[in-house]
Amino acid sequence: MFNTIKKIIKYPRLTQDYPYKSIDSSLFLGRTEINPAECNMCGECVSRCPSQAIVMDKTSNNIGINYDECVFCTLCEEICPTGAAKTTNRFELAEKGKSMLRSNTLIIDENNMTDASHEIICSQLEVNIKKIFGRSLYIREVDSGSCNGCDYEINGLNNPFNDIERLGISFVASPRHADMLLVTGTATRNMQLALAKTYNATPDPKLVVAVGACACSGGIFRDTYATSNGIDSIVPVDVYIPGCPPRPQAIIYGILKALDRTK
Amino acid sequence: MIVDQLLIKLTEVFAQDIYTAGAENANELYLEVNPEKILEISSYIHLELGYPLILMFANDEQSLKTGYAIYYVFADRTEGLLLIIKTLVDSGKMEILSLSKNIPSASLYEREINDLFGIVPVGHPEAKRLVFHGNWPDGEYPLRKEFDVRHKPVFAKKETDFTKVGGEGVFEVPVGPVHAGIIEPGHFRFSVAGEPIINLEAQLYYVHKGIEKLCEGQSIERCLYVSERISGDETFANSLAYCQAIEKIARVRIPDRAQHTRVVFAELERLTSHLGDLAGICLDAAYGFATFQFRMMRGWAYGAADELCGMRFLRSVNKLGGVRKDFAAGKEAKLREQLQKIRSELEDTVNIIKANSLFIDRVENTGILETKIASDLNAVGPGGRASGLRFDVRKSFPYEVYNQLEFNIPEHHNGDINCRMNTKIEECFESISLMLQALETMPDGNVLEAINSVEPYRFAFGLTEAPRGENIHWVMTGENNTIYRYKIRTPSFCNWPALCHAVKGNIVPDFPLINKSFNLSYAGNDL
Ligand code: SF4
Ligand code: SF4
Repeated sequence: MFNTIKKIIKYPRLTQDYPYKSIDSSLFLGRTEINPAECNMCGECVSRCPSQAIVMDKTSNNIGINYDECVFCTLCEEICPTGAAKTTNRFELAEKGKSMLRSNTLIIDENNMTDASHEIICSQLEVNIKKIFGRSLYIREVDSGSCNGCDYEINGLNNPFNDIERLGISFVASPRHADMLLVTGTATRNMQLALAKTYNATPDPKLVVAVGACACSGGIFRDTYATSNGIDSIVPVDVYIPGCPPRPQAIIYGILKALDRTK
Repeated sequence: MIVDQLLIKLTEVFAQDIYTAGAENANELYLEVNPEKILEISSYIHLELGYPLILMFANDEQSLKTGYAIYYVFADRTEGLLLIIKTLVDSGKMEILSLSKNIPSASLYEREINDLFGIVPVGHPEAKRLVFHGNWPDGEYPLRKEFDVRHKPVFAKKETDFTKVGGEGVFEVPVGPVHAGIIEPGHFRFSVAGEPIINLEAQLYYVHKGIEKLCEGQSIERCLYVSERISGDETFANSLAYCQAIEKIARVRIPDRAQHTRVVFAELERLTSHLGDLAGICLDAAYGFATFQFRMMRGWAYGAADELCGMRFLRSVNKLGGVRKDFAAGKEAKLREQLQKIRSELEDTVNIIKANSLFIDRVENTGILETKIASDLNAVGPGGRASGLRFDVRKSFPYEVYNQLEFNIPEHHNGDINCRMNTKIEECFESISLMLQALETMPDGNVLEAINSVEPYRFAFGLTEAPRGENIHWVMTGENNTIYRYKIRTPSFCNWPALCHAVKGNIVPDFPLINKSFNLSYAGNDL
């Protein structure tokens, strides 16, 4: 007992101040950005990107990365002959619409449907909902076919470093108690029914956050016989958090974004 | 040479039935044999020679003019040798003789082959589906080459059939696929009589993504990134096994500095993973203080990973032919300090939890996996070692520089949660020591011997000791630096049946604890 108490006193506080204070991200591998001005349109990264996330338009000399698909592998930076692709340490990447994560407007058109989920709820109602959830949010996590990387990072929200409960957010065991679903994975065909049932079991009003490249777009597992291209083909999504996996702080940022609590 | 001796021995017994024989990559002996005699040959290898069956898979080799082939992989874990028996399948019949009655560990592989290739194991005692649930339509076999990876068959309206346990007072408790905690999906069906569990059937493959199919025809480079995403916390072990296989195919020896770097990362991954498992065991035993101690140490281990490569999950570290950059350079002192901090904290915490008799009482003699069952099912990793199967790929098939470093394999026999926990605790200390040794002896030099092209239709195994145990990948290259076939068998595949045995006779409330002591990966099993 004495030893236990000694240990408890030894490290009084490990919890980081994020999101109240920014975190030192100098070591983080964040998103890679391609500067069209330096790019010579050789197409090397487009053909080798493991997640086929890079879009290039030779006629308008434009190139960019679709961050909902990118798996943050940094390969494009490594192979770019002109140094146009550079990995930054930006990790707060969550967005409310998929189009905001995409570089090429041409591809978005077919996805416009999913972005409309916001318009279904009228905007005033939305404000009210967020006020209600504001400082007390219950989350149910659903793994719909991840590699478990994203789930470990969500687990990390409960560790002493991130301790998400200090923000009034906690995880619950049943969707019936939840205000928000935090969904990882590509919505594999075997999980689609379970995901839909979980969504239906969650009382309205509710928020859905897609965590990781898999949930945003299918990531590296897109287009196989057993997967689907992102959870928004099954349930409406309010916020997309890119990353493979997004680090815990990036997930916190995404959750707060869904609540309009980010600056 | 041991390969030659083995071949002579087998030829003496089965001269007429061995069609071809050839050694590859120093320790892989491939024999093509008469499919009619597979039962005799495999029983001889398994029972007389005592080699466990560690993997079995099929390959659609129709474009290579041989039709469908089945590979049975046996391992000599003392000599570090793989014996691969290959048989061809009659494409008119699409049947093989089932080995399951003689070799229990063959059972799951045969069901897997049946689902993915439509090759029926004749004489299998329980030939139901494994990979696909009841709703998968008949006649769709994704791993046949003619199946298009993008084709999504329409689901049939059928349910999965579970084993029924009869008797008075026996009832079923279905759990999942979505669980209460933040964990992966899987469906468990307990048959219980009162509190004790009589039978547990796990319906997995909810996160089946078709990874093996996805890789076929893709570039060897892209598949590296896919292999990193097989199982979240085994990123490095999986990508390392894949790299090993490709490096063998390309006949490249990677630079010494890269080998040492890989050891550091592989052990860091093991340490992180084990610390997480220990936290999980304590959490499920409602031992809050210890849970947070282990989570704190795990956080430090993640910190070390961030420090080294900017990625908590060690992704984008491995490259074909080495590592992406010189990650260790200039960070040795900091890493050493971090590791020593984890070690001393771990020592203190372990002393505290071992002195807590309430906690030890809960884990001792709970969830026992008997040695006989463990060895029949080829249980691997800490799960197998806790039951007395003292095998470790790092010793049996040493890779990188493990044969130059000193470490012990923990010895336990009881096979209960306590043993699995102690195995993991001891391995944490060994991992820290291995990392320190690798840093100490790391020579200067470059870290990458780039591989840009590989010969088509060559094949090799990659074997690593993942945090959960023996991890095997088999890669066959295709034209233009692509993958023809990529077979992945993670340790979780072997250990799931072991877990189902270990819970029998225990009470339902102990299931989460037993489950956590194995902490198997669903993603790594389901692929
Ligand atoms: S970081 Fe990797 S996945 Fe993302 S765009 Fe670059 S190459 Fe593609
Ligand atoms: S986004 Fe990446 S880390 Fe997350 S589940 Fe998918 S592959 Fe795993």
